[in-house]
Amino acid sequence: MAINDEIEMRRLVIKSYHISEVEFSEKTDIVDKSLYLQNSVIKDIIKEEELIDTINLNIIKPNDHDRWTNTIMDIIPISAKVLGILGEGITHTLTGVYVMLTGVDSEGIQVAEFGSSEGNLKEQLVLNRAGTPSDTDIIISFDVVLKAGEGHARPGPTAAHRACDKFVQQIRNVVKRLDGNTCNERYEFYDKIKSGKKKVVIIKQVAGQGAMYDTQLFSKEPSAFAGGRSIIDIGNVPIIVSPNEYRDGAIRAMH
Amino acid sequence: MGVGPSTKETTLHHFRDPLLQVVSKDDDIDLLGIIIVGTPQDNEDKNFVGTRAAAWAEAMRADGVIISVDGWGNSHVDYANTIEEIGKRDIPVVGLSFVGTQAQFVVKNRYMDTIVDFNKSIEGIETEVVGENNLTELDAKKAVALLKLKMRKKADKR
Repeated sequence: MAINDEIEMRRLVIKSYHISEVEFSEKTDIVDKSLYLQNSVIKDIIKEEELIDTINLNIIKPNDHDRWTNTIMDIIPISAKVLGILGEGITHTLTGVYVMLTGVDSEGIQVAEFGSSEGNLKEQLVLNRAGTPSDTDIIISFDVVLKAGEGHARPGPTAAHRACDKFVQQIRNVVKRLDGNTCNERYEFYDKIKSGKKKVVIIKQVAGQGAMYDTQLFSKEPSAFAGGRSIIDIGNVPIIVSPNEYRDGAIRAMH
Repeated sequence: MGVGPSTKETTLHHFRDPLLQVVSKDDDIDLLGIIIVGTPQDNEDKNFVGTRAAAWAEAMRADGVIISVDGWGNSHVDYANTIEEIGKRDIPVVGLSFVGTQAQFVVKNRYMDTIVDFNKSIEGIETEVVGENNLTELDAKKAVALLKLKMRKKADKR
């Protein structure tokens, strides 16, 4: 068999834009390396979510982790599709800033089941892992207070993810419009068939038990919530994802 | 029950998944794809979805499988079953999971002889610290090395 017999199926380009300052402002925008957040949008989000009592939005600077946090439900990258569908085309993503979704109910019960991570943020989060911010990253803390008792059935945590996603979407809408030539880094990925090589499949067993255990696939935007399909709703059956789809944020952890 | 704070893979983890990075970069491997399988509540459903995942691996004519899970306890029931179904189909399989001291497998079978334990805590427990007991690049490299060994052994037997 021919060596280097590779067939490229599709290309994904991920362009990253570094953010070094995050501030609240009247309008969500990105100017140079500064991200401005309109926090008045939170009022509108709460109006649409019956199960949510309040949402506290905070900007946590690096080295400012000596503070209380409610249980960490997720850490989310801010990425937006610019061209094509999930897995191909162009995606813009921000580096230097990540969203942290935390949750509690109005009676102080944490949105968690199999152990929870509330406490001092400095002690509850290991930095510099694939799934966590680095020690120089800024964290946008999206802290949801659900109405009493709503944290332990599926609709409550789902509402928290949906609300957080609506907030992130307004940032995505700005990220989409960033000039492609001004990115800090550019990565090209290919889904390819390497004929003659050992054929390997990765299986990832993900949460799908219900309540706060859910996983969403193939949302409209990378690593997003809206438009995704819940693994619970598709009966937890195996779904095949291409490497590029996976890299383009096809999975949203909902637990 | 399921997924604890220190083992759970966040959305950011999936976006920058070390396992996918390591496997897709390996020039000796033709990565067929990633099978996402859920973790249902009911035992009969657990066996059903795991068997379907193994059937997919067979249908794809996979030479090998790497299976990872970010939960433990009850989630290991699904995990053990899926590995057994893959093994029964004579497909070399390597696992990645948090085990430590706290999450020793509740059920085991003979195909679970190569499991990379990605526990990082000193005590080997669910520490409730987010990111602590997560799969890293080194864990992924170990899994790939073990799988290559298993695939070679199988080829040598023939």
